[in-house]
Amino acid sequence: MKKYAFVAAVAVTAIMSSSAMAAKIGVSMAKFDDNFLTVLRNGMIAQAKGMSGVELQVEDAGNDVAKQLDQIKNFIASGVDAIIVNPVDTSATQAMTDAAAAGKKPLVYVNRQPINVDTLPANQAFVASNEADSGTLETKEVCRIFKAAGKKEANVYVIMGELSNQAAVQRTKDIEEVIATPDCNFIKIIDKQTSNWNRDEAQNLMTNWLSTGKKFDGVIANNDESAIGAIQALKAAKVDLKTVVVGGVDATQDALASMKGGDLAVTVFQDAAGQGAGALDAALKLAKGEKVDRKVYVPFKLVTPANMNDFIKKN
Amino acid sequence: MAATQAGPISRESDRSLKSKFPELNVLIALVVIVATFEILGRVFMGDSFLFNTRTDVTGLFNEQRLQIIILQVSIVGIIAVGVTQVIISGGIDLSSGSVVGATAMIAMSFAQVSMVNGSPNPTAVFKGTEWLDLPVLVPLIIALGCGIIAGVTNGALVAYTRIPPFIATLGMMVTARGISKWITKGKPISFPTEAYTKIGSGMMPVVIFISIAILFHLIMTYTKYGKHSYAIGSNEEAARVSGIKVENHRILVYTIAACLAALAAVVVSSKNLTAQSGMGVMYELDAIAMAVIGGVSLSGGRGSIIGTVLGALIFGVIISGFTFMRLDAYYQEMVKGVIIVGAVVLDQWRQRSRSLRG
Repeated sequence: MKKYAFVAAVAVTAIMSSSAMAAKIGVSMAKFDDNFLTVLRNGMIAQAKGMSGVELQVEDAGNDVAKQLDQIKNFIASGVDAIIVNPVDTSATQAMTDAAAAGKKPLVYVNRQPINVDTLPANQAFVASNEADSGTLETKEVCRIFKAAGKKEANVYVIMGELSNQAAVQRTKDIEEVIATPDCNFIKIIDKQTSNWNRDEAQNLMTNWLSTGKKFDGVIANNDESAIGAIQALKAAKVDLKTVVVGGVDATQDALASMKGGDLAVTVFQDAAGQGAGALDAALKLAKGEKVDRKVYVPFKLVTPANMNDFIKKN
Repeated sequence: MAATQAGPISRESDRSLKSKFPELNVLIALVVIVATFEILGRVFMGDSFLFNTRTDVTGLFNEQRLQIIILQVSIVGIIAVGVTQVIISGGIDLSSGSVVGATAMIAMSFAQVSMVNGSPNPTAVFKGTEWLDLPVLVPLIIALGCGIIAGVTNGALVAYTRIPPFIATLGMMVTARGISKWITKGKPISFPTEAYTKIGSGMMPVVIFISIAILFHLIMTYTKYGKHSYAIGSNEEAARVSGIKVENHRILVYTIAACLAALAAVVVSSKNLTAQSGMGVMYELDAIAMAVIGGVSLSGGRGSIIGTVLGALIFGVIISGFTFMRLDAYYQEMVKGVIIVGAVVLDQWRQRSRSLRG
């Protein structure tokens, strides 16, 4: 601890002595050819351009764990002020944490939660969105729409993503937790099944549900693709979409178009660019020796017809 | 050996319903599974699986359920018709699911509209408007081209390099999936033209599946192509000696299979109004499972298109039955796996007892 305090003191004096010094930040991204990660990377770059004296060195780990660790070591050797890592493998982050700690450089993980997140040293942090928010925002909005329509009871179907996927498990849990609250406990789940995130499977699933003839008021899906699949099945069966509230998560282009067409009622936006900017912010603070929370959450945003136009250019 | 000794006499006496209609076992299995869901439904759900119990619609049967049973297996069913021919001729095709993915992405790129809800198509692959709003024939011809390229490559690899079909088509499976991801770096391609959406709308996938099945049933039963396929699958050397051009035939079989996968790609992307790089994942295994459940022998030479269609229906009944019973999603895959293996084990027993009986 003494050693860290000393290092921090040295760092602080260094910054004080050269006020408004140029900060050099090394960034290692898991891969460049991922749509979401590209938006995140560009958000970071845009943020840096808006600041004076912040220089980013962004590298592509090409989905290779070993290459990523080498990049981090090279950053340390070339004397960057802080490092931002979007880990290739979240279970291989201890070695990265150790390398940065040994090189006495602040480290910020972005978007993917490192396995050692709860034991990170003081000059390391994790920036992402809290997965528990997405399903909660979605279900609360569906609940609000039901209430606004004056419903005293409502039946819904739940379409889950891939059963082995953490986000799918979490979002389904969120749905169940929201409808267990006294505020929304008038909502009952008729059945929940998986579509494997897949539009075609969701379409087939919804048609199977329709064939039971059971009355329902809404469909809460773990992702937009499944929600759109359900909408297509409802349309094919000539169900009036004004009588059914359909919700998804992701705010994809297809989902926003569906919302514009008056079909999808709710989706949730994960702010990739915001995460990139947030990670840079945390890295700069740590480089200056300031304190940063171990977990920094960039909020998910609820998307409804009222604000959907703000999101069309974002993902 | 018993069969050869018994000779023509046994063949004469075995002209029962079973030998005229070898798919009878599969049909019985289908009926048994439907009956099981009907009984379970009456007991546990207080509802009928097959019959209409609703007051807001008319008719004896639950028509919507009958439709979805076949609709949800039609697209994989189209692939299964092709895979059946490959397996009968002694091969295997693992690439069909990935060919669906790659073809859907490529064909859909040429089937996009320029305007969506009054704003430019946000997923347009080509920037210039001259590539948008093309006539529907363009994506169809391009899809056919994709099928031919994939199929000729598969067939030529199997026929001339002599690598096992499992490996050759595994290579195509990985490569084609790579292509489908590379085209847009994983982004979906959506919003097709009006004409393109008609191909897979409503019950069209079923119409296409059944037409394709009837066509290839006739071809496999009555043409030289069909007879050669069975001959090569039963005994390749004997077929070669009797003058069949085995290499050419193999290329033709794999090309037909890949073209049917390409057709499935058009139907699935039209039905869903989108093409995505992950489309068709696992389709090849579902298609093979349908064929095998339908009595197609993985060692070649035996099976039929009718059997595969019945196998597809068993698949559809199981999926709808599970949802009807509201079986927990976590159990569904386990039970599905057990049913696939169980069907083949039963088929093997049936084969053995038949050959023992002579």
